Amino acid sequence: MLSIVVCVKAVPDPKEADKIRIDPVTKSLTRLDLPLVINSLDQNALEAALQFKERFGAHITVFSMGPPSAGNVMKECLALGADVGILLSDPAFAGADALATAFTLAQAIEKLDEVDVVLCGRASSDGATEWVGPELAIFLEMPVVSMVSEFVETEGPCWQVKSDIENGYRLMQVELPAVFTVTQDVNTPRTLSFSGIIKARKKEITTWGLVDLGESAQSVGLKGSPTIVSDLTYIESKRACQIIEGTLEEKADILVAKLVEAGFI
Amino acid sequence: MIDFTFTEEQELFQKAAREHAETQIAPHVSVMEETGRNWEPVIKAICEAEMMAITIPEEYGGLGLGYVERLLALEEIGRISVATAMMMQVGGLGIEPIIKFATDEQKKKYLPGLASGEHFATVAVTEPTGGSDPRGCRTTYKKQNGSYILNGRKCFITNSHIADTQVVLAVDDDNPEAFSTFIVESGMEGFKPTHIEHKVGMRGCNTGEIELKNCKVPAENLLGGEGKGMRVSMASISDVGRGGMVGCAMGLQKACLDASVKFANERILYGKPISRLQAIQFKLADMKIDLDAGRLLGYRAASIQDKGERSGNEFAVAKYYTTEAAQRAAKMAVDIHGGYGCMEEYAVTRYLRDSYVLGPSAGTSDIMKVIVSRWVLS
Amino acid sequence: MSRQRSSVWVIAEQINGQVLGVSLELIGQARKIADDLGVPVEAVLLGNEIGDQAEMLLFSGADVVYLGDSPDFEVYQPEIYTERIVSLSKDVQPQIMLIGSTYVGRELAPLIAAKLETGLTAHCIDLVISGEGILEQKIPAYGGIMSIICPDKRPQMATVTQGVFPMPRLDEDRSGKIVPVEPPEGVKVRVETLDVVLKEPVGVLLESAPIVVAGGSGAGSIEGWKEIEALAEVLNAALGSTRPAVDEGWADLETMIGQSGKMVSPELYIGVGLSGELQHMVGIVGAKVMIAINNDAKAPVFEQVDFGVVEDCRVFVPAFVKALKNNEACAGRATHVT
Repeated sequence: MLSIVVCVKAVPDPKEADKIRIDPVTKSLTRLDLPLVINSLDQNALEAALQFKERFGAHITVFSMGPPSAGNVMKECLALGADVGILLSDPAFAGADALATAFTLAQAIEKLDEVDVVLCGRASSDGATEWVGPELAIFLEMPVVSMVSEFVETEGPCWQVKSDIENGYRLMQVELPAVFTVTQDVNTPRTLSFSGIIKARKKEITTWGLVDLGESAQSVGLKGSPTIVSDLTYIESKRACQIIEGTLEEKADILVAKLVEAGFI
Repeated sequence: MIDFTFTEEQELFQKAAREHAETQIAPHVSVMEETGRNWEPVIKAICEAEMMAITIPEEYGGLGLGYVERLLALEEIGRISVATAMMMQVGGLGIEPIIKFATDEQKKKYLPGLASGEHFATVAVTEPTGGSDPRGCRTTYKKQNGSYILNGRKCFITNSHIADTQVVLAVDDDNPEAFSTFIVESGMEGFKPTHIEHKVGMRGCNTGEIELKNCKVPAENLLGGEGKGMRVSMASISDVGRGGMVGCAMGLQKACLDASVKFANERILYGKPISRLQAIQFKLADMKIDLDAGRLLGYRAASIQDKGERSGNEFAVAKYYTTEAAQRAAKMAVDIHGGYGCMEEYAVTRYLRDSYVLGPSAGTSDIMKVIVSRWVLS
Repeated sequence: MSRQRSSVWVIAEQINGQVLGVSLELIGQARKIADDLGVPVEAVLLGNEIGDQAEMLLFSGADVVYLGDSPDFEVYQPEIYTERIVSLSKDVQPQIMLIGSTYVGRELAPLIAAKLETGLTAHCIDLVISGEGILEQKIPAYGGIMSIICPDKRPQMATVTQGVFPMPRLDEDRSGKIVPVEPPEGVKVRVETLDVVLKEPVGVLLESAPIVVAGGSGAGSIEGWKEIEALAEVLNAALGSTRPAVDEGWADLETMIGQSGKMVSPELYIGVGLSGELQHMVGIVGAKVMIAINNDAKAPVFEQVDFGVVEDCRVFVPAFVKALKNNEACAGRATHVT
């Protein structure tokens, strides 16, 4: 039976996320109270784990580094079929860039006895660096394949997967234990089920803080982040927009005329 | 202090129902609307999503959840398709008398199949001679050689053609004061669904007539005891039946509000979205006030039911309020859409038609007022 | 080498023996940064039989090319490439390392950054040297431009998409040093590239298209999206998308224009049913004429274009297509009769 770890990020609902703005007066982020949901690509990662569990048996541990309010996202992962949830939550973890995040996750994952497969989404909807998966692999001393769009061969200790590149893919062979980051093409995530939610009542969500990881505060969170934000500015627009007036048909004709005039048609 | 929030788990149930509604039911809605048929895929979807198992006890294969959870699920389904929510709610109404009044053998025989979704249920009370007045029932039963022979016709029965088990109300052929209910299986000799109705709204919800012609029902299918028929059928209709309509109505109210907000923000008149106009804003406010009020009334009644207490009166209040509010909301939604509100490709036309069928179902608004006035004067 | 004198690096990428355009663009920008700092530009190029490509890097502005020319480097092998670059970096100690934001680059860069325990910024739209000699890495965020710095760790690493920086002029008189580097030894290989399968790209390539039509969530549905496709077709334009359109499944990720997608520099850009989020708009570099169609008069896109039409694109686009087809010049090129 495989031991699978899925790393999940709780992010502001992307449908509402464009409401998050820098307040021009206070220079801090507004609407930070938006509800958190599972990062969409991490749902694909969890679905991959659940399919492996159904196919050849697996124990799935979900890790997430986030605020206490990310607990509902962990609950949802358990309701979907994960076995154990571990929330890494501590004020010391806040402000982490990708490196510090990967480091913190790695310290937590290493506390498990045995790990065969680590799955993450390729990127998060609210940070979208794509760095955490590969950096996690370095800290875990495991090989990694990113942009996985298909698991081709999953029998035995060596897996074959397709990793997307521009206009095609690389066929990769990798020895377990290994880290995989997945794209949205790898599967269609399942929806919640009522009986899954009921089964989750018996499953555990544990919270680990800095003390539980046994690390120094210097290596996590903002202190452990080599990159920081130094400035945020607004850009001036250089184009004076002319709004075209008239009826629907008139506007269409004026636009065509402008394109002809500019020599595009 | 009263806590008006749902638990974390209830919110997950709500999310599950919403996801199922959006992915499994929404794709079928337009065909149901056009043909007045095509209920098979959505019935399959709600059964596979374990929706019919919600209130069935775990020992009989159900989920053992409560009526608040049932209402949450119905609300989400209703927001996407009132026709589907109606079939689901009446399916639950066909299950409820068995949960409340059946013998252990009857429960063991019927509930597991209903929980798994292998079988579907309904309740058949209404006849041309009486729905609001159930005592107008003319379908008769007669004991004969250890079975009951049923004769009669039921109309306006939801799930008439898809239910495997129907809880049928009949009057004793020899005693017009004695009513009994029977679990009739669709395969029984003498039972036949006949005419399918074409309704102005809830199109795609299976509504029709059933005919019992010397229908032979085994004695062990008597439900709740001889002479107890009124109690059996009315008890279930009063909470589960009315509660189900509340779910359909709240779903429809939410759909009307969401569609109106979206349209109002996108429709540009006088150089700005019409959501900036106070007349439109006031309609949206009315819809929101009605929705919040209806939800509080509905969940209050369901909470009382979950405590094991009688909730028929509270559900009468909620049923009256939400079904009337849904009709108002649909009209306002159409008004906000202007000319577009008359065009079939805009969902609000469907909402308007659906809202008309909410009123007479599970007791008309006038009957609800009769019940509430009795409550007040008692 | 002391920190002040250490070089600006570009990790150049090659596919099938050809250096990618983005690597040359990065050398061009590295040249500017290095000149500000008064230090050399050095490129790292790994491949097989690519000596001529190394020269091209010198002509683009590199002073030194560390060339790994060996069958072991023919195809990107994560552990071998990472080990080679990391150990070279530890020897040479560059202060800045730039990598093209290709699919391979986006895996290789974090592997290197984690090994070196340094900072890495994704999808930069500009790179400048601050007054203190630090690299300011600029990315769009929350409606503004965020500057990210890596104050203490070295090298300061950043990835950049093709098209952000201009292609440098090739100066064949430029000379420099080519330093051969060998494949690393004793690398435990646990992941291997077995094959690279490429297919011919279809349609007008976004990156080189003179006219780009981009669609967003305003399309409303797949039917609305098809109308936008028709617009692109009648204009013989490349069709791009925004993230919401990709999330809805109307468009492939490959067509997404923006910070974490493709950069385009068309002559004419038409944004349809999109709000003008910075993450998308930074993907459009140097367009001559920009037009937007959106039903919300307050959408940010209208501050960033030359002409705007405030209409629901689901209604306007068909009318626009009709007007274009009626226009003779377009009708002649249209592939179907109105």
